[in-house]
Amino acid sequence: MPKLRVLIMGLAVMLALSGRAWADAKLPEDIQWLTNDSDPVYAADKAVKGGTLNTAILSFPMTFRTVGPDSNGSFRSAVLDNDLSLINIHPNTLNIIPELATHWAFGKDKKTMYFKLNPNARWSDGKPVTASDYVFTLEFMRSPHIVAPWYNDYFTREIDKVIVFDDYTIAVVGTKAEPDLYLKLGIAPTPRHFYGTLGPDFVSRYNWKVAPNTGPYQIDDFQTGKDIRFKRKKDWWAQDLKYFRNRFNVDRVNYTVVRDFNMLWEYFKKGKVDVFGLTIPKYWHDKTQIPIFEKGYAEKIWFFNDTQQSAMGMWLNQDREIFKDKNVRYAFSYAMNIEKVIDQVLRGDYFRLEQAFVGYGPYTNDTIKARRFDLEKVDYYMKASGWRRGADGIWEKNGRRFSVEVTYGFEEHTPRLVVLKEEAKKAGIELILQQSDPTAAFKKFLEKNFDVAWMGWSTSLRPQYWEHFHSVNAHKPQTNNITNTDDPEMDKLIDAYRDSLDEKERIGLSREIQQKIHDIGMFVPTFMVPYIREACWRWWRLPDPPGTRHSDSLFDPFNSATGGMFWYDKKLHDETLDAMKSDRAFAPVTLIDKTYLKGR
Amino acid sequence: MTLSPLTRKKLRRFKSIKRGYYALLLFAAMIIASMFAEVLINSRALVVRYQGRYYFPVYGAMIPGTRFGLDYPYETNYRELSRRFQADGGGNWVLMPPIPFNPFENDLRTDEYPPFAPSFKDRHFLGTDTSARDMAARLVYGFRIAIFFSLTLLLVNYGVGVTVGCAMGYWGGKFDLLVQRMIEIWSNIPFLYVIIIISSIVVPNFFLLILIMVFFGWTSLTWTLRTVTYKERAREYVLAAKALGASDFRIVFKHIIPNTVSVIVTYAPFSVSGGIVALTSLDYLGFGLAPPTPSWGELLQQGWDNMDAWWIVGSVIFAMVLTLMLVTFIGEAVREAFDPKLHSTYE
Repeated sequence: MPKLRVLIMGLAVMLALSGRAWADAKLPEDIQWLTNDSDPVYAADKAVKGGTLNTAILSFPMTFRTVGPDSNGSFRSAVLDNDLSLINIHPNTLNIIPELATHWAFGKDKKTMYFKLNPNARWSDGKPVTASDYVFTLEFMRSPHIVAPWYNDYFTREIDKVIVFDDYTIAVVGTKAEPDLYLKLGIAPTPRHFYGTLGPDFVSRYNWKVAPNTGPYQIDDFQTGKDIRFKRKKDWWAQDLKYFRNRFNVDRVNYTVVRDFNMLWEYFKKGKVDVFGLTIPKYWHDKTQIPIFEKGYAEKIWFFNDTQQSAMGMWLNQDREIFKDKNVRYAFSYAMNIEKVIDQVLRGDYFRLEQAFVGYGPYTNDTIKARRFDLEKVDYYMKASGWRRGADGIWEKNGRRFSVEVTYGFEEHTPRLVVLKEEAKKAGIELILQQSDPTAAFKKFLEKNFDVAWMGWSTSLRPQYWEHFHSVNAHKPQTNNITNTDDPEMDKLIDAYRDSLDEKERIGLSREIQQKIHDIGMFVPTFMVPYIREACWRWWRLPDPPGTRHSDSLFDPFNSATGGMFWYDKKLHDETLDAMKSDRAFAPVTLIDKTYLKGR
Repeated sequence: MTLSPLTRKKLRRFKSIKRGYYALLLFAAMIIASMFAEVLINSRALVVRYQGRYYFPVYGAMIPGTRFGLDYPYETNYRELSRRFQADGGGNWVLMPPIPFNPFENDLRTDEYPPFAPSFKDRHFLGTDTSARDMAARLVYGFRIAIFFSLTLLLVNYGVGVTVGCAMGYWGGKFDLLVQRMIEIWSNIPFLYVIIIISSIVVPNFFLLILIMVFFGWTSLTWTLRTVTYKERAREYVLAAKALGASDFRIVFKHIIPNTVSVIVTYAPFSVSGGIVALTSLDYLGFGLAPPTPSWGELLQQGWDNMDAWWIVGSVIFAMVLTLMLVTFIGEAVREAFDPKLHSTYE
């Protein structure tokens, strides 16, 4: 008898572990179902369907899988963007919008979200998307056969389980109460009927298999090493949903492999590729001074977005004796002539970053302004700390000169730094430039073995403070608190920010922390690039404004939040081809859109 | 110092080889001129006369703008000062060097982006590089660094190489065998990789770079010196010195090395050009001296990336060709002058 009991318990544990909790789950009565059909749409009414977008990739993907070995290439997003999730974020309002779910609700425990699935949702092979496919996502992502330790870990440690109430009602449960839970729990389904039971042959078996998806396009055809062709689904189940209407207009999207960037530019000039990114100043200003632009056959677009900006700048190591003094840190900030670099080296193409966390919506404290080059202020702060100018004009105190090393990892940044160095000399500060290879530089930063680090951090949807500014991470190697910030008040703010589950409170705290960063003065913000620039042939049309607040490309064909807003105009295409044949010119077009540009 | 008749004969012969002789004169002039580059190419004025007093800012401490009645406490901009004094028309004046720029300052302009083409009006006779620094200044200061780098490298390389080579030749036997094998292994360490690894960890400075290059460079000379010493050791004068009780050290340094000097001298010019090329190529690859040190390799790199700015790549290549050609001419003449087999024709 006891043996049987053990067996039953074992089965129960196995069931729980596998993430399926079928057993008579009951939907709580007191939850409030939410949806969103009131946010503005951002696609154009006049968009028409049709045409083919020809675009390029620099190398052929090593696999079509999105998990497992070799899957993390640049092509992955093209596949992944056609896998919709339960919900998404509106790129302008940042509110939740429906995707595969029509309604959602938040559980009282702050770690559960309930979803009503859209019964019309279909896989590309026509099978309906049901609750079972979400349960399978967990099984799939936790399987050792996919050889993806990161996903195994994430879907075990962050997501607890998927509860099925009926075929079209589920709950996704996280492992801990958290703010912004919806960012994590809006998972994507995985087609159970396609994968069935996973085996050890998963990696090789699915290398070149095209898995069913839920998005607007599907891979139709490909030639290994040469090209990949996507085709728009006829009668895509979601094409009339509010936020998808008038989007994903082209019939086909072809990716051709072009292995060299210069060659890609030639392809564009010949019209073999329809769009080309022009963010690099040399291309925008110089290389586009060619007939196809001057005669208006191709157009330039400069679109300002308002998205999270990398915290790029100079990070001062407060464990260095010289930077322990706040006045010296302030003086250093005032001695950096970033404006001159922007105007005279970067052609005014970059913008001054005002603080470390710009573009995080309400979480950003817009009142903070970076310290501008000001010799009088340098003078004031240095003298306040008892420094004097030496014979060579550099500040001195007790035999120590204000000479610091600036470590950086990219040769292309040298022209910016040499100008900063010459300007800093006027302010009495000597910068010694230390260029090393990017990996070595980053290692130095993490080991806190530098005076001034010239670097930028990648961004996330919400500002992250703990790793960069909490004293727990100070004075020891291999943490992201490279400035060794160790301030009890800061710790208190960060702890409160991390513990709070209330959005309003978090926003308030976030702004306070940013003010505190500015007051401590261990970071000198430098540049940001709050825009995208692209070139396209004139038969490509875009809505007005051409992108969304968070677009990072105007011609992204698939992204379910920001992609597929462009369309093809056959009449313009024919007209342009005629004009090119008879050498007739149109007025050149350079569209500059500042809808989302802040404060200018 | 008295010169042996033999040496005097060699010098005479060197002088008679006109191409090498004039190349040496020109090369020496270039080195000497570069040593006083501060006087020729500088953003600091040679002489400033202000309110009856003379200032010589070239060498010495920085003079803040306030000294000349300007409103800033940092280093005086003498070009501006000169214009201001001329406009004022008083008794004050500024004498600038022929090229009034230092190799570090960025002569940036508004609404125009470097590199700027050569212009006599702006006194950028060779234009500017991509950071708007004067090309002529970068070239000359870069030459000074390259040539002194090369000469120091030569000295240290030869110091080590000659000593070890002579020791091998002199003692011979097991010592020779052992060191030979060691050098063979040593010279198989890939030099460039080591440099790349080291400079990814630390940013090399002048002396560290010399140290690294000597570490790999000294071996090549040992083979020749070893052979020559073997030959000399068997001569009677060495035997005589030994019989008189001279120490090994004395025999090697007092007797043998002076007799091998012709070999050493013949190799020297080619090592100088080798040193220049080595530093330039390391800078080109980005593993050389840290920016913003003026360097030919860095200019070459810029020129390659900006082919339309012909003045960058043009002037660097011209400067390199000139320097290397001069050194090679000198080397050829030296070799010929020291050649014991004088080619004379009988009629």
